[in-house]
Parts: sequence; structure tokens; C-alpha cells
Amino acid sequence: MTTFYEEVQEIRTRYPEGTRSALLPALQLAQERHGWLSRQALEEVADALELTPAYCYSVASFYDMLRLEPVGTHTIEVCTNVCCGLVNAQAVLDAFERELGVGPGETTEDGEITLRAVECLGGCSTPTIVAVDHRYRQSVTPENVPAIVQELRNG
Amino acid sequence: MAETTVRVAEGPALVLAGYDGEPLTSLAAYRAVGGYDQLEKARAQDPQAVIQELIASNLRGRGGAFFPTGRKASFIPTPDKIAKPIYITVNADESEPGTFKDREIMLKVPHRLIEGCLVAAHAIQSSDVYIYIRGEYAEEYRVLQAALDEARDAGLLGGVAIVIHRGAGAYICGEETALLESLEGKRGQPRSKPPFPAISGVYAAPTLINNVESITTIPPVLAIGPAEFAQIGAPPDSTGTRLFCLSGNVARPGVYEAPHGITVRHLIDDIGGGVPGGHTLKAVMMGGSSFPVMTPDDLDTALDADSLGKKGYFIGSGVVTVIDERSCIVQFALRVAQFYMHESCGKCTPCRVGTRWLVQLLRAVEDGTAQESDFDLTLDVCDRIIGKCLCVLGDSAAMPVASCVTKFRDEFRAHLEHGGCPFGADSQLAGLFAPVDQHAHTTVPEGVPA
Amino acid sequence: MSNELVHVKIDERDVHVPKGTNLVETALAAGVEIPVFCYEPRLGEPIGACRMCLVEVEGTPKLQAGCTLTAQDGMVVHTARTSQQAAEGQNATLEFILVNHPLDCPVCDKGGECPLQDLTFRYGPGNTRMSFEKLTFEKPIPISPTISLDRERCILCYRCTRFSESVSEDLQLIAADRGAMSIITTFEDLPYKGAFTGNVTELCPVGALLPTQYLFEGRPWEIVDMPTVCGLCPVGCNINATVREGKVKRILSRNHPEIDEGWICDKGRFAYTHLRAEDRLTQPLQRMRRHGLEPVSWEQALGEAERLLDEARGRVVTVFSGSETVEQAYALGKLLRHGLNSHQATLPEEISGALDAYRLPLSSIRNADVVVVLGDVPVVERAPVVDLWIKSARRSGARILDDANDPSVAEAERVVLVWSGPGGRGGATVAKLAEKLGLAGREGCGAFYLPETPNGRGVADAWAACCDEEAEAADSIGLLVVSGDEAAADENVRALAEQAEATIVISMFGGLAAGWADLVLPATGYLERDGTFVNLEGRLQRLRRTVEPACPDELEWISQLAARFDVDVAPYAAAIFAEVSDRVYGGIAFGEVGERAPLRGYPEAQEHVARQALPEPEQKAKRGEIRLVAYKPLFSGAAVERVTELQFQRPQPELELSADDARRRKIATGDLVTAGSNGSAITLSARVNRRLRAGIARVAIEHAEGLAGVVEVAKAEEVVSA
Repeated sequence: MTTFYEEVQEIRTRYPEGTRSALLPALQLAQERHGWLSRQALEEVADALELTPAYCYSVASFYDMLRLEPVGTHTIEVCTNVCCGLVNAQAVLDAFERELGVGPGETTEDGEITLRAVECLGGCSTPTIVAVDHRYRQSVTPENVPAIVQELRNG
Repeated sequence: MAETTVRVAEGPALVLAGYDGEPLTSLAAYRAVGGYDQLEKARAQDPQAVIQELIASNLRGRGGAFFPTGRKASFIPTPDKIAKPIYITVNADESEPGTFKDREIMLKVPHRLIEGCLVAAHAIQSSDVYIYIRGEYAEEYRVLQAALDEARDAGLLGGVAIVIHRGAGAYICGEETALLESLEGKRGQPRSKPPFPAISGVYAAPTLINNVESITTIPPVLAIGPAEFAQIGAPPDSTGTRLFCLSGNVARPGVYEAPHGITVRHLIDDIGGGVPGGHTLKAVMMGGSSFPVMTPDDLDTALDADSLGKKGYFIGSGVVTVIDERSCIVQFALRVAQFYMHESCGKCTPCRVGTRWLVQLLRAVEDGTAQESDFDLTLDVCDRIIGKCLCVLGDSAAMPVASCVTKFRDEFRAHLEHGGCPFGADSQLAGLFAPVDQHAHTTVPEGVPA
Repeated sequence: MSNELVHVKIDERDVHVPKGTNLVETALAAGVEIPVFCYEPRLGEPIGACRMCLVEVEGTPKLQAGCTLTAQDGMVVHTARTSQQAAEGQNATLEFILVNHPLDCPVCDKGGECPLQDLTFRYGPGNTRMSFEKLTFEKPIPISPTISLDRERCILCYRCTRFSESVSEDLQLIAADRGAMSIITTFEDLPYKGAFTGNVTELCPVGALLPTQYLFEGRPWEIVDMPTVCGLCPVGCNINATVREGKVKRILSRNHPEIDEGWICDKGRFAYTHLRAEDRLTQPLQRMRRHGLEPVSWEQALGEAERLLDEARGRVVTVFSGSETVEQAYALGKLLRHGLNSHQATLPEEISGALDAYRLPLSSIRNADVVVVLGDVPVVERAPVVDLWIKSARRSGARILDDANDPSVAEAERVVLVWSGPGGRGGATVAKLAEKLGLAGREGCGAFYLPETPNGRGVADAWAACCDEEAEAADSIGLLVVSGDEAAADENVRALAEQAEATIVISMFGGLAAGWADLVLPATGYLERDGTFVNLEGRLQRLRRTVEPACPDELEWISQLAARFDVDVAPYAAAIFAEVSDRVYGGIAFGEVGERAPLRGYPEAQEHVARQALPEPEQKAKRGEIRLVAYKPLFSGAAVERVTELQFQRPQPELELSADDARRRKIATGDLVTAGSNGSAITLSARVNRRLRAGIARVAIEHAEGLAGVVEVAKAEEVVSA
């Protein structure tokens, strides 16, 4: 298996030498490996790109998809922007809160599922859009919610 | 769970040419509808000639700014004039609320986007293309990457390197200079212009930046010829077709390709099947959430930049989102303001501070704790943001808010008279303006194992 | 920037500026102020973030940021003075800035010297329309033991983070999060550590980043800023000492564009509290049988000094620190050489006169095409600000090399050589190299040698100027005179004292003289002295007495002592300087040295300096071998040791290894390694430095335990705990 360091060096070849362009891909890769960007993960990224952990942290904290806190094994992200909102996003979010017993931004007690309310996911004609482990579910209604959660829990 | 409706509603099929419900994701399928023919044709031409064709077509940017694509390409210095590489970056960071067309392009006709990139690369003599795709678009990335691999294997790239660069969740990266910063591995904060990207873009080298739909429209422009393209739609400025994004309280939402110039009413009622459930249209989020809302009396306005502009509207990214009478307009304004507060990059003062102030003001209106004078204060805050920020995000927050205060002042006032929101929980948007999951390194939520 | 001039009309005034000049500078040239917060030309390209500099440009509907817009020929610009629109724009910006600002000016140290206060007064709204909760943060937060951060006061102008990214390049002070929630922070609450961190406290245009030492220490109307020169390293940065009620409370930069560009290091900025160290001597001490050192009166001390000197006529050996002023060294030298016929001195270091042909202002480094840095000691540890000039050169496109044989050196137009480390033979090696490359007389080409001491060169000049008598080695040391703290702290000097019949130590601190001196005379610090220093460029600079010293000035008692041996030494720096200047500095007067001294040549100085044999060049390590470089860190020495807040800056017990050497030995950063030779070994944590060349291992001298030369380096055996 290739090491994280080697994989990042491979990513660097896609971009001109001496640039920091590989940073976002490296952060994404680190997040994939660690689940979130822990201190250790950021240090590894910094080392692979000859940057400081502080710089990597500065960049990571700018982007919503990069997590600087531990998250659950699975994530459920409910679009709560206007287009989904006009149809049924509120009801869908409520249903997830009920089903999971946690509010947006929180993780279930067993550490399995993190629920997030997010901005427009770009699926406005099939509201409500819910990204389950980053795969879009379209036209989700409150009635679909228990099945989605069950599916995740069953692995 | 329903699929998005994507179809040619009327007029010629250009961006969606050859697509009839089956995605043209394989090279063979795309080839079968004439795919990559325009690339071959373009490569046989002088690069300048290709740029001239784009200029003649008057194709304009589909990302929101509506800048002439050909002219933008003509600003790029030719390789003999500059010792630096020339770059193309494709803006696939589609994040404007109500916009979902670029995503469908990448899912349905990915090869047409790649063909467009290769034609553009030939035109400006670039051999480096970066497609910056929003991070949430995982499936779209997968489909586009597969198409790219297939095109590369088929030898179509011809020495052009195309790299798909995934964003990581920041609306502002759709702003072209923020996109460049993000691509360079930095915080996605816009740069001050000038210098414009055509002179100093990514890695301080000349860079052509175009929206996915704009680039994808290039092959069809060449296919039908610039003269014919320039006749479609609402010439002289709004030529060609457009992928309109119809959503909200409408019977048949979807992505519809149609010529510029059809009316808003036609799109909503005839193509979209009107407002369902016996409800009535109250407002339209026109162009995207960044622009003034449209009131019902303007529904007969044609969907072209000129007609919309005369009435103070923008075509933006082709968004038409229908809001029916059940939703509270203060809640709408608040939700929009909150979005921009969340997405403000924090670089310049008026946007960073002003968006939060607007949220506080609108929240007070919604709660019924504001005073009549706060309406004018809100308008003044908007005025102090508009035109004074580093990029357009501040304007994008202030324009819709100001339009809501101005056009729906009675509804705003009703909140004060009622001592709170007269719609209450009945409004579809109620409760969605509870703080969205703010990205902040605050505290670890309880129950999360460290 | 081109030479082409463009004509701009700004507030009805005509001005011609080079094409490419931004509107803030253009306005300045026309005598018009455009207010700014984020704009700071020393931080690189302007960013247009704060929006304070909004101006109206005729023909453009929207207001424009004056800092990012460049002047075009025929442009007509209106600032807030002549444009209602611009005035409203600036008023709007200030209203927004103040929306979340706590307005706690009465208890803010910046109050009274705060750009935000000043600009609000002139351009801002008189009241606030913000009636909601302001953003609140925990405050103040120590981002290091020397700097406090108040996030509520922060206006996010990004000056500090741009400094960290584009000037010091430490990438440690950063902006985190986004939008309204953006904050300035360090990683995981680690302290902001580095040679230059304190500069952010001067860059901050509000009271967000403040020097902790200065918190609640003075109000602007109670203080006075005294211009002087830093005496802690051979750069000689120009500084102001903020003085209140006779005490130095703060050190600020005093921009000398050729030397420091307004940046100073943290040692220069924060070490001043050593003036008030617990063991600071204010009274002479004399060894009393069985009682050790005891305080005595000056009369008794001078009597004892006279007795010791008299007994050792012709056999007095002096050791200088290189931190004395030219005048102090001359006064002492004149007494000893004229009065006591003692010509033997250990000068702190030899500086080769051959360097003078390659003299350049430090600022020229920025314009170099190639900078060759030789000598293996990090530049920042010897002459910190030089490191900033080299970084600046790299950002402007220069190649920074560690090998003068690189072909690009011969091809480059402007070449600058820098020797940083031992083995440079006082600059003779680098001067030889410059000669070989034919750099003499070529524009923008030059060579620098970074000495170890702040004024070693001036001390050598002064000693030489005393008289031309050659030193003859005496067969015994009658009296050892140890001048200054660096000499007093030197173990070799202490060993020498063992051989001496008696020892006089001139030191600021009791701790340094205890146990081995017979007579201790209290010394002044560089912030308490009048006089001159010669920096590493060869520039003569003026030190000013910023506060009354805690003890009588050296010149005062040397003068009295000299009189007892019939030697005429004036008790004033000006008079002494006149004598020195006549001999070695071209006769310029004390008053002509200058507030921001120019770089003059002093060819006469070299004629007088009796050259001691320069040390032999060091042996190069053979292939595969590792030579240990034990360097004296920036954050070390008697002053730093006495400043609690600077202890976090001292180097970790780490051994720096090149990537090559580390890989060959399977060593990674953080591994425990041993370095040893001839049976002695040290065990340290490894740090792999990709920029270090192979064959070198580096360690701070305080962790080297005397180890030097070629060493064996290996991963330490894993210690298995029982």
C-alpha cells in the first residue's frame, strides 16, 4: 500500500512545481483516511507538502466539507436552502432529528451518524435533497426518512 | 425518489443536443450524435478564427455575469507575447441557490463539456485545463472523470492536460478569482481586480475562466455556425438557448433548454405546469438568490438580459424559483441573508460585517421586535454594502434583501403589527433560519467520541 | 514599476507618478491623504480588504479601492475631501468596522496611538446604529508569552497574517474559519514562535495584537520614544525605546530602509527587560577574603582597580565582548595601552578588511538575482533581519544557493554572497570568493560576513586607533580585564582567569562574575549608552542614552581611573569619538553620524587595525561523513536568559539533519538520535530539514555539550522500559 506521503507526492505532479495546489486534494485524502482532520492528520498534510500545520488548518477551516471535529461513521446532510425549503426541507430535517435523536451538527450517541443542515446542494428540482454519505437522494419526504436511517444502520 | 427532469423545452437542442433521456456518458454514445466533430473542425482552423466565431455568435457567460465568451478569450495574450503557460479553468463550482444545470450537463453530456474545453484550449493555445468542481458533486465528479479518462484513452486530448480539481464546500469559490485562489491551495478569498485573470490568473499566468454551460455551448455554436446561433433567442445580446433552472412551488420543476426571450410566465405556467395545489404565485427568485426578487406583475418579462435589466432584474444563472403565497417573505429574506453571511469569505469589511448585521435586522423583523425605522436602516445597510465590496458577494446579499424590504414592505410591517410572524409555522420556510451548521471550530458536540 | 510617468488629477491637484503606482501612493505624492487600514506596502501586493481607501474615479460608477487601483494617465480621482460619494463610502466602512468593535478605548493600550481612533475621528460616524449583540470572544488570549490577542478589537485587516505568510514566512499566525466568524489564531493554540513575531504588534492598526510586556504600562501622553540602535546583534536595527518615568517600557522599530525596513527581531524587541534583571549590578563588588564578593563604594573600587592595574603594568590582558561601544573600547584601550603599556587584547573576532571592496547596504540583497549563503549557521540566528532580506529576494525571484560553484552564479548579473557561520576567517574567505567571481565594482553585487558580535568591528577599530604599538605576549598574565557580559560568560575566558594573578570583570549581572572575579565593576546596557557601533555592513551608527543607567557610565569611571595614570580620557562619548574619528573615521563629528546613518566607507580604519592571524578554514567533511555545526542561537546570551517571556523561544534539544543523511540512517523527525565522536556523545530528538545540505548536522550550542567536528549519527537504541 502506498503511504499518505507518497500519494500526496503523486497528486503534486498534477500541478506546477512550487505551488500549493495539492493542498485541497491532500486534505480531502487525509480526511478520507482519518474520518476528520485531526491534529495528526493536519501535521501529515503539512509534512507532505512542506507547509505548516497552521497553514493547512487555516485553509481547511475555510471549507465546509473539511471537518475539524470528529464526525460519525456516516453523515446525513439535508439541504435547507430556499428551493428545498419551499417544498418540504423543514419537515424532512425534523424527521431526521426525530429518527436520530440529535439536532443538526450533532452525532448520534453511538458515534454512527452525524446530521447536518447544509446549504443548497444543487438539486433544486427534486426537493428535498439529502446527501447520505455524499450520495444524493432526491425528492426525499419525511416518510422516506426511517428507511434511509435504517439502511445506514444496517450498513 | 424522482429523477430531475432535464429536457429541451422548445427551440433547437444545443447544449442538450442528442440527449433524449439516456445520458451520453460513453464516448460511443456521444460520438453517435456527432460528438467531437467540432473539435476536429476547430483544430483544423487557425486559433484566432475560432475566437472570431465565438465573438460572432455573441455567446455570453452562463455563470451569472453574462460577459461575452469570445471577447474574454480574445483578451488572453497569445503564446508569442508571453513567457508563461496559458491556463483554462472551468467553473463547475455550481452553488448559487436554485442552480442545478451544470450538474446535469456533467451527468448527461460530460463529453460535450470536455469537447468544449478542448476547443477553447485550441482557441487560446493552452495546454492546461483545470475543471474546478464543487466538492459536494461526488457523482458528477465520478461521471466526468470517467468520460475524461475515456477521451484521453481515445487520444482526443491531443497534448492538453485536463485535471478535475474538487472543491471542498465554499460558495464563494464560484467567484472566479476566489476559485483561482482555492485552486492554488489557499483560502478561497477573492482577489482584487484588476489585474483580470486573462492577464494574471492562476499561478499569475493568463487564465481563461468559463462556466460549465458556457464552455459546453461552444461545440454547438460551431456546429450550427455563429451566424445562426446569433439569431436564436433574443439577439443581439441574449443569443442562443439557455438551460433554465425551474424550481420551487411549481408542478414540473426541472432543467429546461429553451431560447432566451421566452417569458417567465411561459416558463412557469406552460413548461412548468404552473403553481400546484391551487396556490398563487407570490414572488419569483429570479436569476438566483443573489438578485432582486420578482413580483407577479412582472411575470410577462422576457427571459433575456435586456428585458430583465430594464425592470431591475438579472438573468443570473437562469434560475426561476417560484414562491407561493404560503411562504413568508421576511423568512425568505432572512434565509437568503443567512446564506450569504455563512458564505461570506470574511475578507472585506462591508460584506463580512454587513451580512451579519442584515441577519440580525431581519431576525428582529421576523420576531416582531424591530421598529418601523429598522426598514430604512436595513435598506441603508444594503446601500452601504452594494458597490463597496471587494467582490459581488456583498451585493448578492444586499440586493435580494433590499428588494424584499422595498417590494413587500406591507408584509414586513405586518410583522411589527402582529408582534411576530403572521405566517408562523405555516410558512414553509419557518425554522430553516435556525443557525445552519456553521463551520466553526467551536466545541465538540456531546456524544461524539474524541 | 516602469519609468513612464502618468498624469493624475487628485482632489484638483495635478501629480505625475510612475505608471503602476497605486492611488494611495499617488495621492500621497500629491499631498493628499487616503486613509487605510489593510494597506501596508511592506507586506507585498495590496489586497483591498478593509475598504477604507474608497475613492471616486471619474468615469467609473462604483467607488474604487485606492490601494489596489493603479494610476492611469488622465485619471481624475476624488477622495473624501472632494467627493460626497467617497466620503460616504469611507463613513460606511468605518460604521461597519465599528459594528463589532468593543469601543473599549479607555482601557486599551492602543488608545491615543490608534489608527482606528484617528480615522474614526476624521472620517467616521459620530454614533452607532447597531443595536444588536456584538460578536464576543474570550479575551485577551496570549498567542505567545510575548503577544496578547484581543479578537473583539480585531478588524480583520490581515496585516498580521500577511506578515506571517509573506515577510517572516513562518506561516504560523493565520486566519481561521470564514466570514463573520473569521478569527486570527495559531495552530492548536501553540504559541506564535519565531524570530520576528513581535512585528505584528506594530502592524496591527488597532489594539488587537499587543506586546504583553507593555500591557497597562503607559499611556501615549506619558511616554517618549527615544531613537537609538539595537545593540544585540551585528545588524544594528534602528529602534525607538519607549520610555516612561525613566524606564524602558517597549522597543519599537524605527524604519531604516537600508538596514531593517522597519522589521526587528523578537530579541531586539522583547529582551529590554534585562535592564531590570534581578542580578543587575548597580554597585561595584570586591572579593573579600572568606566572604567572597561584597559591595563596596566606588571610591574603594577605583582604588582597588588602580592597585591591580599598577601591579600588573605591562602584563594586563584585556578580553572584549564586542558589545562595547567604540568609545568604551577606545577609552579602555587608551588607559591600558598609554597608561599601562599593555597592548595585549583578545578582540571578539577578526573582520577581514578585504570585505570593504564588496560593501553594500543590506537592502541591496532584495534586488539580487542570486544570493549564495555559505557557512552552515542559519542566517536568522546570527543576523536575523538579513534573513528577511534574503527571503524578500527569493520572493522577488532570486535564487538562493548554498554553493558558489553553481553555474547560475557566474551567469547572474547581481550576485550577493553571505557568509554565516564559523570557518569564514572573518570574511576573508567570502571576500576571496567575491574576488574570484569578479564582483568588485559591479552594481548590485557584494559580500557580507555575519559576525558573531554586535560591534566587534567597532571595538577592533577603536583598539587599533588607541596606538600603533604591537602587542608582545607577556610570559604571565598580571591582570585579566574582562569587558562585558559575553566575555564574562565565555568558559575559555574563565579558564584564562585561572592563569591570571587577578581578574577585573566589567559586567551588568552579578551572576556572571560570581566565583572568579576579584573586582566587579557594574556595566551599562546598550539602551543606556551614548556612543557608536559599526554594524556588519561597516555602517557607523549612533546609540543614544534612552534612560539613565542603573550605575555610573563606564566612560565616567574609566576617565577617572585614566587620570590616575596620567592618561587623558574624556568622560563624554562625543569627545572620545572625535579622537577615534580623527584616526579611523575620516574625522566626521559625533553629530554627523546621523539619525538614520548612511553607509560610508572608512578606509583609514583598516590601516590601523593590527591583524591577528585569521583562523584556518575548517576541514570539509568527507563523503558520507557528518560534520556537526554547533551554533549560537539568536535566543541565547546573558540578556535573553534574564527575560522570562523569551524562554519559550529558546531552541529545543534537537539535532537538525539533512533529508539525505536522515534517509540513509532511517531517521525520521522526532526519532531519538545520538551524535558522537571520540567516546563522547549527545542524545537528542531529530529534525529532518529538507533545506539543509547533506554532510551537516546542526545543533544549538547549548545542547551540543562541547561536541564538534565530524560525528557519527545514528538512531538511538530503543530503551525498553521494564
